[in-house]
Order: sequence, then C-alpha cells, then structure tokens
Amino acid sequence: MLKFNNVTISYGNNPTVKDFSLHVEQGQVVSLVGESGSGKTTVIRAALGLLPGGGKVTDGDILYNGKSVLTLSDAQWRKMRGTEISMIFQDSGAMMNPTKKVGDVFVEYLQTHEKISKKDAWNKGIMMLEKMRLPSGDNIMRSYPFQLSGGMRQRVGIAMGMTYSPKLLLADEPTSALDVTTQAQIVRQMMALRDVYGTSIIVVTHNLGVAAYMSDYIVVMKHGVIEDQGDRDHILHHSENEYTRKLLEAVPSLGGERYV
Amino acid sequence: MFNENAEVILEANHITRKFPAAGGKTLLANNDISLKLYKGKTLGLVGESGCGKSTFMRFLVMLDKPTEGEILFQGKDLTKLKGEELRQFRRHIQMVFQDPANSFNPKLRIRDIVCEPLMNFGLITKEEKDAKCRELLEMVELPGDFADRYPHNMSGGQRQRVAIARALALHPEILILDEATSALDVSVQKTVIDLVTKLQREKGITIGFICHDIALVASCAHQVAVMYLGNLVEVLPGDELHTRAVHPYTKALMGSIFDINMDFSKPIESIDSEAPSPLDVPAGCPFANRCDSCMEICKTERPVMTDYAPDHQVACHLFKNSSL
Repeated sequence: MLKFNNVTISYGNNPTVKDFSLHVEQGQVVSLVGESGSGKTTVIRAALGLLPGGGKVTDGDILYNGKSVLTLSDAQWRKMRGTEISMIFQDSGAMMNPTKKVGDVFVEYLQTHEKISKKDAWNKGIMMLEKMRLPSGDNIMRSYPFQLSGGMRQRVGIAMGMTYSPKLLLADEPTSALDVTTQAQIVRQMMALRDVYGTSIIVVTHNLGVAAYMSDYIVVMKHGVIEDQGDRDHILHHSENEYTRKLLEAVPSLGGERYV
Repeated sequence: MFNENAEVILEANHITRKFPAAGGKTLLANNDISLKLYKGKTLGLVGESGCGKSTFMRFLVMLDKPTEGEILFQGKDLTKLKGEELRQFRRHIQMVFQDPANSFNPKLRIRDIVCEPLMNFGLITKEEKDAKCRELLEMVELPGDFADRYPHNMSGGQRQRVAIARALALHPEILILDEATSALDVSVQKTVIDLVTKLQREKGITIGFICHDIALVASCAHQVAVMYLGNLVEVLPGDELHTRAVHPYTKALMGSIFDINMDFSKPIESIDSEAPSPLDVPAGCPFANRCDSCMEICKTERPVMTDYAPDHQVACHLFKNSSL
C-alpha cells in the first residue's frame, strides 16, 4: 500500500537519505532501525509530507495506494492525514498545546476532520480513550497534558491517531521515552491495532528488541542508506551483514554475555 | 558469594529523604535504604523513573544530604562533613552524568575540562596540563589531540569518555555512573561499558551504576539493587538476577524486556496499571496494588528487607518465613 521508489531526501544540497526503497503491505509491521542520524525519522516524515524546513524529496517517488504523495496539495494532505495515515510521536505530550486541556485538543482534532458537535466530539474522545484502556476518560479529557504520566500521554496520542482507523500508522520512537513496563503496555496496544483493524505500521526505533518483537520486516539503516533488510528471522539469525551483526551483539541480554 | 572475599568500602544505613511538596504533603524519595558498596565491585541500581535511584546516589557524591541515616566511608559519616574536609572527601568519590553535553562548560577546551579537578586541588601546574590531559585521554582510548577540541566537536560517546577521564583524574576509590550510557546508541554503549569494566579491573575502582535497563545492569554489575517508589525491594548478585530473582516487581521488570532472543510467539508480559504517585504511596507494601500475589497483610504492613539466600535480600511478605 505504501511504496518508496528509490527515494532521495535532501536538506538544502545535502542528501540525508539516499536511494531508499521499501514496500509496505496491508497489515504488515515494518521497522526501521539504526543509530542516531541514520535517517530513519526522515523517511517516515517524508511519507506524511512533514519534512521539517528545507527538507525535500529530490529523487524517486513515494506512492500511497498507487498515487504519488509528493504532488498533493495542502487541502489533499489535510484530508489524508489522520484518516488514511496517522503518526505517533516520541512524546505525544509535546504535540499538544500545553495551555489547553487534553479534551479541548481532542475536540479540535475531531472537528477538523468531521462535522461534529462539541458534545458528540467530547463523548467520542472519551470512547476512544477507553478503547485504549485509559480508565476514567472523562477525567483525562479534563486534565492538562502535564498532569498525565508519559505512558498516559502516549496512549492519548495513539487514541487520537486511531480515531478514524487509519490504514497506515507511522510511529516515531513511540516508546523510547517510557519506562520498560509502560513500554510493554504500549507495544501490546499497537500490536492489537494491527490484529483488530489490520493497520499497517511503520515503526522507527533504536531498540532492536522492540523492533524484533513487533515487526514482520526489518530495515537496518546507516548514514542514510539501507544497510540491510529482510524478514525478522533473516535479520536476527541469518544476516551476514557486518553492521547488523555488530548492532545485535551490542544489545544487552538477560542471561547473556557478562562484562564482569 | 562475593562479599566473603570483598571488603566493604562504603556503607549506607537507613537512608531516608523527604522532600516537601505542595499542599503540605511530603514526597518520600528514599525510604529506609541500606546498601553496601564492596571494593572493586559494581553495585547496579535499577528501577523506573522516579523511584529514587538518582536521589540515593547523589548522597554518595555529597550533592545532597539525607533527612535521616548515615553513610560511612573511611570511618567518617559523609552526611556530617562540612567545609574543607568535605572538599577533600570529594576526591574519593566522583560522578559521570547522563548527558555530558550539559555537564561540561561549552566554552572550555577538553584540556581544561579534563584537568580542572587536578588544578582545583593543586595537583599539577599549568605546564603539566597538556601532558596530563593526553595521558588521561589515552587511558579512555581517545587520541591525545582531542585536548584542543571543544565539547560540541565530539560525538556523544566521545564526550562520555572525556567525562570518565575527568572523573578518574583524581584517582577516586568510587565512581558513580548516573545513566551514563542511556543517551548513547547501543554499539557505542557497548564500547563505553567495555572501557569502564576494563578500567575497573585495572584500577580496582568501586562503581555505583544507576540504570533503568535491567538487562544491561545484569551484565555489568556484581550486585544489583532494585528500587520501587523510594523503597528497596530486592538485592542480589548480578549473575543470579535472571535465574533467582523472586520479588514480583523484579520479575515484572524482567518480563517486560524486549529481548532479541525472546520467543516472539508469546505475548509480552507486563503489569497493566500505572505506578502510584510518590506523593501518595500505599500504606502497606508500595507494590501492593499492582502485584498479582497481593495478600491481606500487604495492604497494611510494609515488608522489610530480610535475608532470602546468601547475598540475596528481599522485601516481600511472600518470602518472610523461608529459611536459608
């Protein structure tokens, strides 16, 4: 459903991502792994037309259901974001207006996408929060973002992103700012989305354990190019790529190698 | 069984720290923590955000004082030190922070950063700085020419090595690492851990390692202490962590790790609820409301640390009566 054809993305005259090709199928979970600065976030931002200032796709094409997304107008983008493709950021709290209550942000979001009264939107928000297993949705709607814990904020972000059951979910380091037990909850929730709604997910992460658990297909990036790719089993056990092996060996494992 | 042939270098007894909070409440950041550091060994302190692990380690480097309790080091109580004596004691215990980009003065060159502690104590002269800096940089496997650089001209891993060189410049007996590898990529993290453990073997340094990654702690600590909401819940040897940990919270922490060697067909285990606010800790066991094996007594009486096996203590009512 989403195709990157030899995409090159540049900031100014510097190509940051070079010759990137990837094909994501319906219901598939793909992860982009790599170290800081490898261009993994740039790739998914390009898929949603959200490249920060000066960033541009200079070569190749990104196709969503066969249609290029590079030529979409602002109005077409607005229709697509949130309903067809949505995104979860590393800290969902940072995307919310800190001076507004969660409920007001949620209502504004819903009213941008559909004609709905404030009251209905409020109730729809509560329903979505409860679907994400956030108890007492009404309380959360009446809180400011800073009053919620990181895990709760992240779940609010997912609830907003999933309201219109998008066919593709882009997640940029969705659990990196969270504690391990919260991380496990959020990962479980994202996997449930795939299982229940058949949502395709592209997840960007530096945590190889999370990538391995979630994905069907793993892409390893380094310095803006694809270094290695393959299905999970291939990457974890059969890859002969030196960089992939090095990354895997560096992941600490319970009961694994000890330094002392 | 490391503590039979290891000497206790530092002993913290019944450390409690209360912070005043809004509305007349008190935040109990550390509740009756007793831990020992052994010479040349690593104590790993794990727990989730806000469990009080950094608060505790800050007492050891004398950046803060506990409300109650004592910390014995070389026959002195660190919490009572003042003035020049306190300044001299800082030489013995040094610290490396999570983000060296923020803990270095951006306007100083690496040479001045690394040699600053030595200059402060008058141990070297200006003329000796260059040679000393090179020596220290080479100890942490960086080229000596880095002495002329500024912190922003280096990568995160390189900066962390500089922070280690600076901390070790005074030959401290104890080194505290506060999430020192958390901001680094995994492959860089591995090289930094390799370096730290190598230096520990060569110099016999005692390390206090704060970390939220229980798998990393298990791989590089001789002794692991698990904290939850300001309380110590379990202390055990690092090499026994994955086989012998018994406290329900320790097990939950381990169950929620994503490991590249795990069985992917099994769903990940984790506790569902959120940790209570540290302003509002339950009366009994702090973990009671999230624990699968919660009993009546857990809701009313706080469990204390008891010996469970050699070198292994646990604070849980489930294991109160088990014999050694």
